[in-house]
Amino acid sequence: MPYRLEIALKSALFDAEGESIRKKALNYFGIELAQVRTIHVVTIDADLSAEQLKKIQTEIFTNPVTQISSFDPLPIEFDWSIWVGYKPGVKDNPGSTAVEAIEDILGIKPAKDEAVYTSKRYCLKGADITIEDANKIAGELLANDIVQQWKIFLKKDWNPAKGIGLIIPKVKLDHNPGVATISIDSDSALMKVSDKRNLALNPNDVPAIRAYFLDKEILAERAIVGLSDPTDIELEYISQARSDHCNHNTFNGLFHYLNLATGRQQVVDNLFKTCIESPTLKLKEEKPWVVSVLWDNAGVARFDNDHYYVITGETHNSPSNMEAYGGAITGIVGIYRDPMGTGKGAKLVMGGYGFCVGNRDYNGNLMPHLHPRRLLDGVIEGVRDGGNKSGIPTTFGHVVFNHGYMGKSLVFVTAIGIMPSAINGEPAEQKNIFPEDLIVMCGGRVGKDGIHGVTAASETFSEHTPAGHVQIGDPYTQKKMHDFLLEARDEGLIQFITDNGGGGLSSSVGETARFSNGCEVQLEKVPLKYEGLDQWEIWISESQERMTVAVSPEHLERFLELSESHAVESTVIGRYTDSGKLHITYNGKTCAYINMDFLTSGFPQWEFDALWQPPDRRGLFEPVLKEPKNYKGLLLDLLSRPNICSREWISRQYDHEVQGTSVIKPLVGADRDVNSDAAVIRPLLGSEKGLAFAQALLPAYSAIDAFHMTGCTIDEAVRRLIAVGANLEHIGGVDNFCWPDIAWHPKDNPDGKFKAAQLVRSCRALHEICSSYGIPLLSGKDSMYIDGHLAGKYGEIHKVSALETLQFSTISVIDDITKCVTMDGKIPGDPVYILGATRNELGGSEYYEHFGYTGLNVPKVMPDQFIPVYRGLACAIKKELVASAHGIYRGGLGLHLAMVAMGGNLGMNVDLSLVPVDQVDRNDVILFSESAGRFIVTINPENKREFEKIFKGLPCACIGNLTEESDFAINGIENKIISSVPVRELKAAWKKPFGNLI
Amino acid sequence: MEKAFWEFDMSNVRVLVLAGYGLNCDHETAYAFELAGACASRVHINSLVDGSISLEDFQIMVFTGGFSWGDDHGAGVIQAVRMKTNLGDKIHKFVEKGNLVLGICNGFQTLVNLGLLPGFEGNYKTRSVALTFNDCGNFQDQWVFLKANPESPCVFTRDFDRIELPVRHGEGKFYSDRSTIKHLVDNNQIALQYAMPDGRFANCEFPFNPNGSVDDIAGICDSTGRIFGLMPHPEAFNHWTNHPDWTRNKEKMKRRRGSVDSGLTDGIRMFQNAVDFICSK
Repeated sequence: MPYRLEIALKSALFDAEGESIRKKALNYFGIELAQVRTIHVVTIDADLSAEQLKKIQTEIFTNPVTQISSFDPLPIEFDWSIWVGYKPGVKDNPGSTAVEAIEDILGIKPAKDEAVYTSKRYCLKGADITIEDANKIAGELLANDIVQQWKIFLKKDWNPAKGIGLIIPKVKLDHNPGVATISIDSDSALMKVSDKRNLALNPNDVPAIRAYFLDKEILAERAIVGLSDPTDIELEYISQARSDHCNHNTFNGLFHYLNLATGRQQVVDNLFKTCIESPTLKLKEEKPWVVSVLWDNAGVARFDNDHYYVITGETHNSPSNMEAYGGAITGIVGIYRDPMGTGKGAKLVMGGYGFCVGNRDYNGNLMPHLHPRRLLDGVIEGVRDGGNKSGIPTTFGHVVFNHGYMGKSLVFVTAIGIMPSAINGEPAEQKNIFPEDLIVMCGGRVGKDGIHGVTAASETFSEHTPAGHVQIGDPYTQKKMHDFLLEARDEGLIQFITDNGGGGLSSSVGETARFSNGCEVQLEKVPLKYEGLDQWEIWISESQERMTVAVSPEHLERFLELSESHAVESTVIGRYTDSGKLHITYNGKTCAYINMDFLTSGFPQWEFDALWQPPDRRGLFEPVLKEPKNYKGLLLDLLSRPNICSREWISRQYDHEVQGTSVIKPLVGADRDVNSDAAVIRPLLGSEKGLAFAQALLPAYSAIDAFHMTGCTIDEAVRRLIAVGANLEHIGGVDNFCWPDIAWHPKDNPDGKFKAAQLVRSCRALHEICSSYGIPLLSGKDSMYIDGHLAGKYGEIHKVSALETLQFSTISVIDDITKCVTMDGKIPGDPVYILGATRNELGGSEYYEHFGYTGLNVPKVMPDQFIPVYRGLACAIKKELVASAHGIYRGGLGLHLAMVAMGGNLGMNVDLSLVPVDQVDRNDVILFSESAGRFIVTINPENKREFEKIFKGLPCACIGNLTEESDFAINGIENKIISSVPVRELKAAWKKPFGNLI
Repeated sequence: MEKAFWEFDMSNVRVLVLAGYGLNCDHETAYAFELAGACASRVHINSLVDGSISLEDFQIMVFTGGFSWGDDHGAGVIQAVRMKTNLGDKIHKFVEKGNLVLGICNGFQTLVNLGLLPGFEGNYKTRSVALTFNDCGNFQDQWVFLKANPESPCVFTRDFDRIELPVRHGEGKFYSDRSTIKHLVDNNQIALQYAMPDGRFANCEFPFNPNGSVDDIAGICDSTGRIFGLMPHPEAFNHWTNHPDWTRNKEKMKRRRGSVDSGLTDGIRMFQNAVDFICSK
């Protein structure tokens, strides 16, 4: 019989959760609540005695100091009470840990169908709350209808004895699992099946699939194992493996590129091969520190003699748009499995994030599934819980607000790990599988969650996207698995390891089986969360926190023993073979039998038309704008712009110091509140070597030319590392492309050819700039289709496509962390230098955006001119001549000088006539141009000669100094003060937009 | 390379650092104790429970930071249930022998749920204080200024006056009824309190008191001073570059022709106090 325990804080205690809900109701919807109290509900669906119940109530679920609890509804006053619980089948992590605690304290094992479910009941007080308000709070603030259910109770309808009733969200699948055979009479019949089953097969692939299954030899082989037409599990396997997400069909595509200005036509066969793979392999030859790239779950590079670091990044966009919290936590926890599955396994040491969302205060007519503010809150919280509970410091991140992301918001996550260079004398980055090695699945169990996640990520978001692919990551289960796998690795028990991410076992087993050339999987051995899953669902489910490990038979016993001691579930589900076949059985009966080489052969390459029209021919021009007079007001307003202002509230809720390795934190300076250029950690506690890490995102420039967007993004990410003390000789990159749909369609995607040209240009810039700077691409991913269809005021549907977006991450090894510098001005009197020339490059700038302009003169990266400056700064930092260094990024010189002053809480005097320029004669251009390649540096005056010597012949000038005064004072090129503002006031303006958020 | 505990020279101070089930500060805590001169072993909770490793081989037991059991049902609650059910007597014996117990963050939360703290007059079974959700409503990572109580019997905070350490928690608000607080005050069991940069008490002002703790309490000890729990993380101040002002301090020192202090940090000194105590026993 089920029991329901309600637990709440004692009335005298402040209910922080309730208070945050009260505030959000006011801020999101303007609904005034007088009070919100939270009740935790634990529903125990198990046969327990009164004595046992009492024991778990007092010893587990109720803190005698702070809480009250009762098996009857708690008599907490309300005008409305809202109950929110998970839908059946959604992962209830506290429910699972409750079972563990009950087992411990009562010394019992729950029966198979017994379980504990957690939910919450909120008691809302407020005289004027209407049913509409209550519905809004329930449906849009407290619950997400994709994963949660809710009930609303009005005070007068409340039954104090019955309460919410007994709600048991147990999965009951009234379904007999089975394998279906699918007839493939014609291409159109197969396409129909694809649509019906959400397989998202590409029409061009369909003939190849049919040809395979109709081949006489294949038919004969299949007949022996009892198969004829393809089974559902086989088609699902093919669909997963052929999805753009897994197979990168876009990047591997054939592009017909035409430049309309020159009439020049070019064919680009495979962007990945030409722009990413080949330059990286070339650099690998030149740079011995590049260890392993382009094949594993993450790239591997040398940290020191005995250690490698690994890095990778990806996005988790579609799920986060459906369920922000669940999507984001699954994203960060998921990316953390990639280093664990790289080489023989790496320990996680650092993570990063990037969020691109619509404007937080959007109040227009478009109706996205989640308002940007709510979506951003959920995403922030998801990465918070995923990162913090994984025990991995989240050291760097950024947020970009832009209307284009209303259609699809982006959630980037990056993971960095470290591993010994050798395990038992064997190279740690290498792994292989031999026939007879066992296929072991470790970690969580398999449920219906995540089914068709991969194919959904390869489609444009619409109201018909199946909700089943949303899941809630469980960092706790994964942390246990992480600790276990590292011990297993060190004992030499791991032959091969990879993670179960997109595509589940279908991808992980399907891809690893290529190493031995075959596998046999007994699907009935896969541990399930609940009965009733079809075989194809078990095969492709994306239930999280699982790794697939190849274990040689002689190590199995020890592997399973170690797994058990870490409370991690590991199960042998089959073995690797060299049969050339992917062979899946269920209780002895074959349900899939496919040639291993089928997926790598015979499929047509995707083709795209790419039409480039240069920006001036698209009607872009420089606005006619006379110089402003009120620079003070302008500076204050620019500092308050959402893409410039402080987001301290995000950094503070991310644990960026766990593992005890922090060297340069996300926030630095006298008040520890200004953003650092990059993060630095000391990943090996006993060593003073460091890892520096930074990221950049500059989508605004794509409105002019994605080539220069890409160049500037890479350049910013590089300068960020140089500014803290990195060396240009060792910088690795990670490219994460997020692009709108590039497949042209006359009605659905009329500008597809232009977006395809932008992609080609972006990849060319990636190739060109990375080759010039010598940056191997250690890892990278692409996520296409960042478009959405949003309803408007009159029921019309708008397609909203985001700007072409690239997040570029950089990483470097710091030889001596004690020589790192931060960006905050340090000591009054220190001279302020500018390195690098300022050009008339306001196109796409924050300044133009402030006035609603785009402009034409987008910043350009000139590696030949920039590299000597970067080398010079690295040298000056190494010689400890530099007191502070800061790159000049979005917003330009004016704003970033202000940042240096704000960081030190010091005044600053600068003279714009001294700034190194290239054909610039206006104050506003000097202050707000976003030319790449520049830094602000402050130094000890005693070091002036030595410092200037390093930059002889390079654009470098002292333009003023830090002061003990309160003001940031700017002398214009006409030699008169054009602005003087107290630094305190600048900081207040910079903190104002989000300053009251915690 | 970490050693197994049996490889240690048994004349050294031996420290057991708990690990597993979502704990995540075990590596740096073990490292911090090693810097302080001890031999530290990271031990999975299950290895203690199944008896493959015995508490008797150690003199200092550390409940480390992290998210044991995901912090579900209250931070440290389930860990306390597991430890009490399986090891309650052994831990009490460990304490009786004059050994030291330290709980950091999630470990502090566990100690108060176990009843080892406040441990009034040898009562190690009663839960009378709690660490609950931060008043600010969110997880906070920031450095705090702390003031130590010179009158406290606490072994770990000996010779400390002011100290800076990071806090990183969502449930660190120390709470109890007035009489229990008075008892703590009277016994000088409040060893560490949140303070202002100038050393005055934070007086519940956010962010100096980051969580709304009653009386700015950041750490308490038992009546003997041998069991200590605190929310801040001393192990995260194991190198001078952990301090948020280190680049500023270094530049200032350079101008005065001085060198930055690269000796033991204040964080490590806290562990050193524990090691010295065991050595002088």
